[in-house]
Amino acid sequence: MDLDKDNANPTIINPSDLPSRRRSAPTTKRAGIFDVLAPAYPTLLAAPSSPPEAQSDISSDSEEEEDREEIDEQEVYDLISTISDPEHPLSLGSLGVVTLDDIKILTPTSPRSRISTVTVLITPTTSACSLTTVIGLGVKVRLVNALPPRFRVDVRIKEGTSKTADEVNKQLGDKERVAAAMENKSLVSVVNNMLATCE
Amino acid sequence: MSDIELYLFEADKNKMEAQRVATQSAGRLEAKTLKLIDLITSLEPYINDKDDGSIRAKSVTYLADVLSSLPPRVLSGQERRLLCDFILGRIEGDAEGIGASARALIALEGLGKWDADTVQKVLRTFIDNTHPLRQFKLQTERYALVQLIDLLLAKYRDALRQLHESDHEFMTGFISYFEGEKDPRNLMIIFSLLQVPMTEWDIHACAQDLFDSVFNYFPITFKPPPDDPYGITAQDLKDRLRDCIAANSDFAPYAFPQLLDKLDSTSMNTKRDVLHTIQACVLGYEAKTINLYSVTLWDALKFEILNVQEEDLALESLKALGLIAAKFAETAEGPLNAYLRPVIKECNEHLEDAPTKQSEATGRILHALAVSGPAVADKISKGVLPVLFSLYNGSQSITKRRGLLDVFNHIVAAYVELDELQPNTNTEALQAYANDALEAMIRALVNAPKAEVSFRLASLKGLTQLVSTRNALSEKEGERAVDTITDMVLHEQFEGHGDIRAQAIKALTDVAHSIPLVVRDRSVPAFMVELLDNPSEGSVLAPVLEAFAQLSTERQIFDTIALRLKNKYGVARHQGAPQQYQRSLLLALLYAFTFGAPMREDGIIRSAYYTEYAEPLLTDIASRPAAEQDHSTLDIVGRIVNVLLRPQGVHFQSTVYNKNLQWLSSAGKDEMLAMALAPFTLQYYAGMKAEVADAEDIVSVLKAQAHLALHASSDPVGVSTVLRHLSLLVNKFINPKTMQATLEASGIEVGVLLSATASSQAIGAAFAVVKGLLIQGKSGALATRYLQALLDILASEGKDVARHFATLLAPDDILSKENHCLVSGLYKQKIFNQSVPFMIDAVRTADASIKPNYLIALSGILRWLPYSVIEPSLKSLIAPLLQTLDLNEPAEQEVKASALIIFESLLMHDPTIVAEHTASLVTRLLNSTAGPANKADVRAKALQCLALAPRQLKREAVVPYRRQVVKRLQACLDDTKRSVRTEAVKCRTAWLGLDEGNEDEE
Repeated sequence: MDLDKDNANPTIINPSDLPSRRRSAPTTKRAGIFDVLAPAYPTLLAAPSSPPEAQSDISSDSEEEEDREEIDEQEVYDLISTISDPEHPLSLGSLGVVTLDDIKILTPTSPRSRISTVTVLITPTTSACSLTTVIGLGVKVRLVNALPPRFRVDVRIKEGTSKTADEVNKQLGDKERVAAAMENKSLVSVVNNMLATCE
Repeated sequence: MSDIELYLFEADKNKMEAQRVATQSAGRLEAKTLKLIDLITSLEPYINDKDDGSIRAKSVTYLADVLSSLPPRVLSGQERRLLCDFILGRIEGDAEGIGASARALIALEGLGKWDADTVQKVLRTFIDNTHPLRQFKLQTERYALVQLIDLLLAKYRDALRQLHESDHEFMTGFISYFEGEKDPRNLMIIFSLLQVPMTEWDIHACAQDLFDSVFNYFPITFKPPPDDPYGITAQDLKDRLRDCIAANSDFAPYAFPQLLDKLDSTSMNTKRDVLHTIQACVLGYEAKTINLYSVTLWDALKFEILNVQEEDLALESLKALGLIAAKFAETAEGPLNAYLRPVIKECNEHLEDAPTKQSEATGRILHALAVSGPAVADKISKGVLPVLFSLYNGSQSITKRRGLLDVFNHIVAAYVELDELQPNTNTEALQAYANDALEAMIRALVNAPKAEVSFRLASLKGLTQLVSTRNALSEKEGERAVDTITDMVLHEQFEGHGDIRAQAIKALTDVAHSIPLVVRDRSVPAFMVELLDNPSEGSVLAPVLEAFAQLSTERQIFDTIALRLKNKYGVARHQGAPQQYQRSLLLALLYAFTFGAPMREDGIIRSAYYTEYAEPLLTDIASRPAAEQDHSTLDIVGRIVNVLLRPQGVHFQSTVYNKNLQWLSSAGKDEMLAMALAPFTLQYYAGMKAEVADAEDIVSVLKAQAHLALHASSDPVGVSTVLRHLSLLVNKFINPKTMQATLEASGIEVGVLLSATASSQAIGAAFAVVKGLLIQGKSGALATRYLQALLDILASEGKDVARHFATLLAPDDILSKENHCLVSGLYKQKIFNQSVPFMIDAVRTADASIKPNYLIALSGILRWLPYSVIEPSLKSLIAPLLQTLDLNEPAEQEVKASALIIFESLLMHDPTIVAEHTASLVTRLLNSTAGPANKADVRAKALQCLALAPRQLKREAVVPYRRQVVKRLQACLDDTKRSVRTEAVKCRTAWLGLDEGNEDEE
């Protein structure tokens, strides 16, 4: 595989240009630099045993405990952007194979249904990339394992980016074929190597 | 029997005895009871024994032993010469006992210096008659020979050089003499002695032979045997061999081709060795020799950097390239130009399609070269910058421009480093493009889309570096750079992806280091405009204030920053600005003194700061009635006073103490005021040295605080402050000898506090007192008794008391060595030993209704102990800890969390101990992952522990639970908290991985 790479010198996105939740969190929520200077100490009566760090968010904690942080596009992106490319020692995120804009979450269409759909569009590094199917399979396996069962996972190739898009989409959309692929020992080991870099 | 007969008799049986016989002969020679001639004569039958070589050898050994034991001046010069001739004469006919002959000669040389003739004769005799060395099978014999030759080369350089110059054949024999030696002890000496001819003699004619004789050993792959008594490492051999290879420029024609050939090796160690050797050669050989190979070296070394195999190989290659440049920078310009021409040409080519791996490598190469000398930097700049900027201006692509800026930054970084080494580096070549660069970077920072983070960061870095390079920018240009960065810090309100304010602040502090005056005159006023005197409620000035405070980390502008903050606080207070804003200003001041760079005298923060900054604040507090005191403002003022006061000497502190004694003690009598001032007084007394305060004053302070602790309001924050104060006083000020009496007099003797119907205030006070005592460790018996009393009431009291146990070891920055408190080194171990075994027992036997008390108290102690303290008792702790996980009341979440943390370290460090409890542990961990009964941090921690199980425990132990765990974890994937979900994904991946059957991946 190493010998005839489809695309030997792909463009690499600088890590600081990748979308991330830490950087996109609003500044107001971040702790100010002064907060460590005068920490609130555990008061014996209110919360006899909490360490100083935990103390500060005890009040907010009880409120926030109720708030639900919904699974959003960034979270899905974080799950799959760290997958390694099968032929470069680089992540799918830094190669631009998966991008935040190409992930969509559709909430349940009717109030009675619980099923949400995640759609991920993959952009192969070249239109002739022969490993597109494997990448798609890796993304799909990762999401099926990491998202709760109420999500339907739909992985496809972004339109106009691959010569074999239709065929690949058909394969990835077919549950049986995905299951069959994961019985294939060598395929499983390739996928596991890709997923090994995931946090 | 004569001595020689005795010696021969003992030689094989008892070495010590034989040695003694030899010493005895030497003694007789010295005492003149034995004549040298008689001694030699007595040897004759044995040393010439026709049949037995070993007797001949032993006889020589006897002679060597005798000579080594002789003190100087016993033998006349004549006698020594005769002996020398005698030994050499023997060697010509008989090689038996050659090692002993060498030792005898070494001993003779030690008794008196030799003349040139003797030296030449000795070496000649050995080379002619014992060539090659490897014919002697015993390492010790060869070792003695090598030592003798080493001695000759070290002491008689001229004589031996004459020998070489007068006889051209000599060298051939000498070089091949050592051929085939393999023992590391001998090689260490041979490598060392060969350096004499290599560096001092004219060896042009036999350079190749000499070079080959050492290069045969390259690369050294020696591995010392386990418990090697000689302690020679492969590195020792490598170092000496490298010195040989680099010893003479005449080696270059053989060294470089062979080294570069070995650079293609697949072994990383060999490559590392080659690179080190090339560096040594570049340093050792003459510049005109390196000149012949500079381009060849570049062509080979560049691949290690352009296609990095191992990062350290790339770094070594960069270093080698830099050394070559440095070599030429010292001498002529021609070789430098010849070397740099192809480098610059290739680097410029790589710039064309930046950003790529190659263009990144280009930046590193240019930096490594430029940093080797101002002349090199100058040529690099002249060669690269025109191309770089024409490419920059010719492209609209932001990524390309970023790649080019990165390379530019590398070059400027070299200038910054050069300037630190030798100020006033010539920056002319850089200056020609500095303005172009400045404009481009300012444009990038002001106009580029905010989402182009890497581009803007590169520009910011470049700007900082340009400013740091002396003379690169004019004064006007420096001002523009500062204005741009200041503007970013103050006005960029961009949130989310693209927010680089933090880096901008860092850049501004860096710039302040290079041009403090510009920052002081331009940035500081800009900040002051933003920081209003009296902002309306809710206006967001915190970010500006935080940025401003961070500038205080630069020493040169510290005083300006601190003064402006103080004045601003004065104005804000005068105009009645919102409390929150006033507090923030005080916090900024505290930040400056804590993390900034205030002036110091003898390493101690200047006492003038106390007078200028803390004293006015203190006066202000003293003048206000209780109703106007603000709790958190007092806390901050207290901390400012503390940080400025505590490093000062006793004399200074005493003055401060006496000045404030009056109003503090009168305030102490007013319960309302004392309570209000509590946060301040706590910090104030924390800063004082124990000897400053008067004992009687302290007792009255203790009484007042004890009164507050037992009777005052129920404001939890206030009470906790007072209790911390109690711990502080007990720990630092009260004389341990009269401890109990003092406590009784103040009404806080622990026995009394806990008697009968103890109020919750009394219990709090008891714990505070015990805490102070335990950490101090001076009143051991008392502390032990009190701790046991606390443990005893667990049986009768509610869970509230149990929760107090967590406060005993909870870290408190008041009780620290910086605050002059007494902190015993082993107090954690002590508390552990005095309380934990008791509680483990109690858990086993206690009634179900009070068992939780012990579990809560136990975890309160354990959570603050380092793992090493807990480690020896882990086995007995597992049962109570598992039961802790069953506690399900909402108030017990903290307790659970701390138990989980212990399980986490347990799984990491000693998984075998938990192995037999796998079933109960897995079930309880799974139960702890369910919300909402468990808090988010408990759920997350439980998942982290669970994720460790398949990795740390034996496969067959965990596989049975796989199905159950994977299924239950599906629910966790849908947890309400993102952080928990992340942990759930990791945990589930770990358990799913179990199925694959390839255990080696786990």
